[in-house]
This record gives sequence, C-alpha cells and structure tokens, in this order.
Amino acid sequence: MRTSEQYKKEIHKTGRIGLLITILLLFAVPIIICSVYDIFPTFKQFMLSSSGLLAIFVPLTISEVISFTPLLGSAAYLTFITGNIMNLKFPCAKGAMDVAGATPGTEKADVIATLSVGVSSMLTIIIIALGVLLLVPLEPILQLPAVKTATDYMLPSLFGALALSLLKSSGDIQVKGAWKAGVVPFVLILVVNLFVYPLVGLEGVALILMIPLTILCAKIAHKKGWINVEYLNETTEIQGGKE
Amino acid sequence: MGFFDVANSRLVYLLVVFVIVFVFILSIIFARKAWKRGIEMGISKDILKRVVKQSLIFTLVPSIAIVIGLFALAPALGIPWPWLRLSVIGSVSYELMAADMATSGMGMSLAEASSGGPAALGNIMLVMTVGISAGMIMLLIFGKGIMNKVSKLSASKSDFAHVVMACFMIALAAVFIPGILAKGTIFILTFVTSLLVTAIQAIIVEKYKVKWLKDFILSFSLVIGMASSILWASLLG
Repeated sequence: MRTSEQYKKEIHKTGRIGLLITILLLFAVPIIICSVYDIFPTFKQFMLSSSGLLAIFVPLTISEVISFTPLLGSAAYLTFITGNIMNLKFPCAKGAMDVAGATPGTEKADVIATLSVGVSSMLTIIIIALGVLLLVPLEPILQLPAVKTATDYMLPSLFGALALSLLKSSGDIQVKGAWKAGVVPFVLILVVNLFVYPLVGLEGVALILMIPLTILCAKIAHKKGWINVEYLNETTEIQGGKE
Repeated sequence: MGFFDVANSRLVYLLVVFVIVFVFILSIIFARKAWKRGIEMGISKDILKRVVKQSLIFTLVPSIAIVIGLFALAPALGIPWPWLRLSVIGSVSYELMAADMATSGMGMSLAEASSGGPAALGNIMLVMTVGISAGMIMLLIFGKGIMNKVSKLSASKSDFAHVVMACFMIALAAVFIPGILAKGTIFILTFVTSLLVTAIQAIIVEKYKVKWLKDFILSFSLVIGMASSILWASLLG
C-alpha cells in the first residue's frame, strides 16, 4: 500500500503533466489553424482585440486558482483543465464530500473530490458530444422559452442548493458557527452589488479580497468564543458514513 | 474561403476531437487513481459508489445548460471551437463573455464575427486561448505549493487552522450569494425555493433516516429550483 506522501507525489505528477500537455494542446489548435489557413493576426490586431479581455480574465482566472485550489486539493488539476468550475465541478465535488463525510483539506476530501470531478468530467464531455451530434433535433427543444428561463436561473438554484453545505462543516472536524465570519463580507458584497457596481463575472476577484477579510472576522469571532471547533470521533452513517 | 468554411472545417473538428479525447482519457486516469487510493485508505466501496452516483446524477442538468451555451456560441463561431472550449478549460458563462469581448475588441459584435472573414476567426481563437490560460499556468507553477500548505494546515492541531479552512467555503458563499440576490426578485425566489427544498430534504434524511435521499439532495434541489423559476417568471415576469 502506498503512503499518503507517495500518493500525493504521484497525483501531483499526473496533474502537472496533464496540465502542461493540455496547455500545449490548447495553444496548438489555434496556431495550427492559423498556420494552415494563413490567418495569423498581426501583433497590433491581436493586442487591440485582446487587451480588454486580458485585463479582466487574467486576474479572474488567477484568483480562481488561489480561491478554489485549497478547497479542491489535487482535484484542482482536472477541475481547471475541464473548466465549468463554479457552475458544475465545484458544487459536484462539494456534494460528493458531503456524501462521503469528508472535511475539505484532508486526504479523504482530496480523493473524493478527484473521483467526483473525474466522473463528472467524463459525463459532461459525453453530453456535450451528444449535443453536437444531435444539434439539429435538439435545438428546438433546448431553446423552448421554459427551458431557457430555467437555464437562466441555474445559478440561484445551484447556490440555494449549496448554501447550507457551504455554511456547515462536513466530516470529522466540525467548525461550529463558522457562518458568523461571513456576515461582514456578505453585507459588504451585497452593498457593492446593489449600490456601487454589479460584480457579475468578477466574483473571482472579489473572492480573493474577501477570503482574508473572512479569516480576520473568524479570528475575532474565534477569540470571542463565537466560533468553536469540535472533533467527532465517529460520524454516523447518515452524516456520510465512517469507514 | 469564408469564416464558417474554416470554423467548421474537417481540420478544426479533427484537432478539437483529439484534444477532447485526451482530456477524457485524463479524466479516466484521475478517477481511477482516486478510486484506488480511496480503497487503499479504507474508504468503503459503498461510499465510493455513492460518490460516483451522486456526481453523475448531479452533472446531468448543468451539462445540459452547457449544451445550451454551445447553441448560443455556434451560430457566431461554428460548432467545433465552442465544443472544445466548453468541454475543456472554459465555462459556459465565461466563454460567451470572452467571445464577445474578443469580437468587440475588433470593432464588431459577436453575431457579426463572420463578417471579418477567416482572419477574424484566427484572431478570436488566439485571443480566447491566451485570455483564459493564465489560470492554468498559475496552477502549474503554484498549485502544488498551495496544496501542500493546505495539507499542513488541515493536519495542524490548532483549532484556528480548521477555522481558516472553513473560511474558504464561507467566503465563497459571502461573495456569490449577494450577487445572485441583488439581481432581482425572481433570482431571490428561485434561491429561496432551492434552499428550502434542500433544508426539507436534509430534515427528511435526518429525521426519517432516508439514507438514499442524501445522494440526491443537491440534484433534486437544483432541478426543483430551476423549475420554480419558470413559475416565478410567469407570475412576476
């Protein structure tokens, strides 16, 4: 049997090699197409059309890495390779951690999240491929007004479903009252959204600023005894199943 | 040769399928490694199977939403490029935004992208690739370090280390939920419906020991929440 360290070494190696090959492949596709069809943009054209996008997407994607990697562990490799993080992979992994009763940051959570993101990615790839194959017959169904409305409201449904799970610890280590640390950041973000600037699409950047603030609030609340940590020796089957 | 002759060409399909197959194989490798490690750690097969089942069921609805995103992008960019971006690296909301920004940077709307000819397609593809790759490059360089730090934090005997770990989840809720609620009444009602459905199911699981329901809570809440939005939109829209 491998030790924890051996597994970590192995999964990091797979993740980093997979990540590197994916980056190379992703760049290879437009480069090959531009070369074959002789459609490379000039540097000026490229810079003109990319500056706005780069200004938003570079900090956004970097903050996503800083915010989600601690929660996903080594599952972050496949999560970032396959994308659709907030609308699919993260909730899927979090739901799986709840089912298995795993505390984020532990090896168990890491393994469960990797398994969850792995099977989820396979199914997503299959469903999108089916969508491409059945584009013509599916289009009228998927563009029905009711379907369109339901899809437009997927994010509030997803967060409604996820809210309790985000606020409540799962696994053997229970952080009681942790939600109290989120009150100030929640109010601040609500005020910014309502009265200053809607943060839609910029949540990654906001997250990178709110994590330190949440930790600071938690430090004060923990000192005052409003947040406590409980260690459960045994989790019940209903809480996720202790092996 | 026109914009769509290149965008929907055999070469683009071939390259896209190649990358997607690679990522599919990578997903199998990751899932297999995690399964094996789970068994080694003593996690029961029953739990691992429940994790797989929960993940597959939950994935269905968001994946269909991604297909709808594909339909939105295909008329402007052809089929294979959005197919690649939504299967690998991209997110349905970011890709629409990235494609729109790339075309507006060229002085046209996304719907008019084809009027720029194949040269516009080449530019859009390159801009979108560079734009979203920063995260992956960042993960490649710093990912291992971040994960090792988190492992140390979780293994720590200090209570506050566990509080810090919990803060990541709390911050996530504190950032995303207000943004959703600020969007309007239908968003709030849909959120609350989904939240209530989740709470009711959690009570049923706890009180009546309906173990199987635990694996479906997230999926049921998502679907019922989305379905309720149709009702709220028809009542208030």
